[in-house]
Amino acid sequence: MRFLRQSLVIAGKDLRAELRGKETINASLSFSLVILLLFSFAFDPTADETRAICGGLLWLVFAFAGALVLNRSFARDLPNDCLDALITSPLPPAALFLGKVMANMLILLTVEIFCLPIFGLFYDVNWTLQFGMLFLVLVLTTWGLTVVGTMFSALTVNMRLRELMLPTLVYPIMIPGLLAAIQLTTYLAVGQPIPPDYYPWLKLLVGFDVIYTLLGLALVDTVLVG
Amino acid sequence: MREKLTYLIAAAVAVLLVANLYNILLVLPDEANQGAIWRIFTFHFPSAMTAGLCSFLALIGSIMYLWKRNLWWDAFAVSATELTLAFGAVVLITGMIWARVIWGIWWAWDARLTSTLVSWLAYAAYLIFRNAIEEPTARARYSAVISLFTFPGVIISWKSIEWWRTQHPGPVLTIRGGGGMAPGMQPAAYWNLLALAVFAMILLSIRLRQENTQRLIDGFRRQAHEI
Amino acid sequence: MDSRNFTYMFYGFAAAWAVLVIYVITLVSREKKIHQEMSRLQKLIEEGSRK
Repeated sequence: MRFLRQSLVIAGKDLRAELRGKETINASLSFSLVILLLFSFAFDPTADETRAICGGLLWLVFAFAGALVLNRSFARDLPNDCLDALITSPLPPAALFLGKVMANMLILLTVEIFCLPIFGLFYDVNWTLQFGMLFLVLVLTTWGLTVVGTMFSALTVNMRLRELMLPTLVYPIMIPGLLAAIQLTTYLAVGQPIPPDYYPWLKLLVGFDVIYTLLGLALVDTVLVG
Repeated sequence: MREKLTYLIAAAVAVLLVANLYNILLVLPDEANQGAIWRIFTFHFPSAMTAGLCSFLALIGSIMYLWKRNLWWDAFAVSATELTLAFGAVVLITGMIWARVIWGIWWAWDARLTSTLVSWLAYAAYLIFRNAIEEPTARARYSAVISLFTFPGVIISWKSIEWWRTQHPGPVLTIRGGGGMAPGMQPAAYWNLLALAVFAMILLSIRLRQENTQRLIDGFRRQAHEI
Repeated sequence: MDSRNFTYMFYGFAAAWAVLVIYVITLVSREKKIHQEMSRLQKLIEEGSRK
């Protein structure tokens, strides 16, 4: 499919640019590790109560790291009119959007996978037991986060207050997805399987992803071109 | 002529509200378990419905703007969103006061309360965002997109008491299949719903007129500075 | 009638009305600002056309 190929080209371009400078991934990774460290001082890592909130802690870290990644997403193309060149090229804006979503998703997923062992160390939890399911939840939620975040990154790219407006807009919309992820991760990160009555949260995640991906693909044309 | 009609409708709404208030406070009895506090429901429920209605109107305005590119629709969308925030605030505050009495806590993080608060914050972010962009066409375009992204949150909030077991009470009105409220007490809530919904439409029309006038003024200002 | 519940009920009603009244007040103040701007513009245009 030509559309998919075009998206992959954009994703490849973003990832290559990122790997050359490594600014975003370094900033995001170090920020996440610092926050994890801070959390382990704020909440006693050995207490059972902390096990009960570990899903929330993890996803707070990932959400903040995600904001860093997403801010840079379209802003990276502002110098030298790169963004204008991309928009006026024959590339459909939806392909540009999808490519950036894929690139952001990969970057954020890498940060998350890096953080998991550190988290396991600090909080003494065995996250490898349910890794398959945990990875699925990570992928689904990260996709939702990057879809919504990349869309609003495109929206706020030309604003002065970009770094403030992006989180303000993204987090309220993300909360249903984040909530589902937190509920599921609280069990999976400590190695327990998901209880059967928690499966609706998984359905919520999938529905969330589908709806916002469709909305994003449909509306990014309006945002970028007009 | 339109002004007179607006005043007439506003007067009718005022009469309806006062009559209903008399009914609620002085005629209807207290509830068996809750005492007097059940009466808050007669404002809580209509405000929630009105806020939902206004958010739906904002959605319509946004879609129509993206389709027709007429800034009138953008004015419609922003007016509806402001009303959503106003009535949403009423819902949240009256709910918190009821909760303080019945549950003993001001707030709980169950699905209904969380999703409603989060949707309220999303619409507030919409207004904050609008202030940061001055160019009217770009502002209208971006706002419409944001509005389309915030509406699913309202749907989640509405459906939350069906999809999850929440601390927030399930449906109690007879038409929703719940049996939680005495039939004699329900008309008061419905009359308030009518009154508040019409009141919201009046405020919407006023705010819409102001927004359109502001647009005209901005155009004149540019002209005047050229002269 | 539990008197405590009655007090909270009044708080509830007062809060509901207060929010709506505050919104109406913002509408009224916005109207005033619009009128002020209108008259300022009219003066500006009259001065401009007189020149």
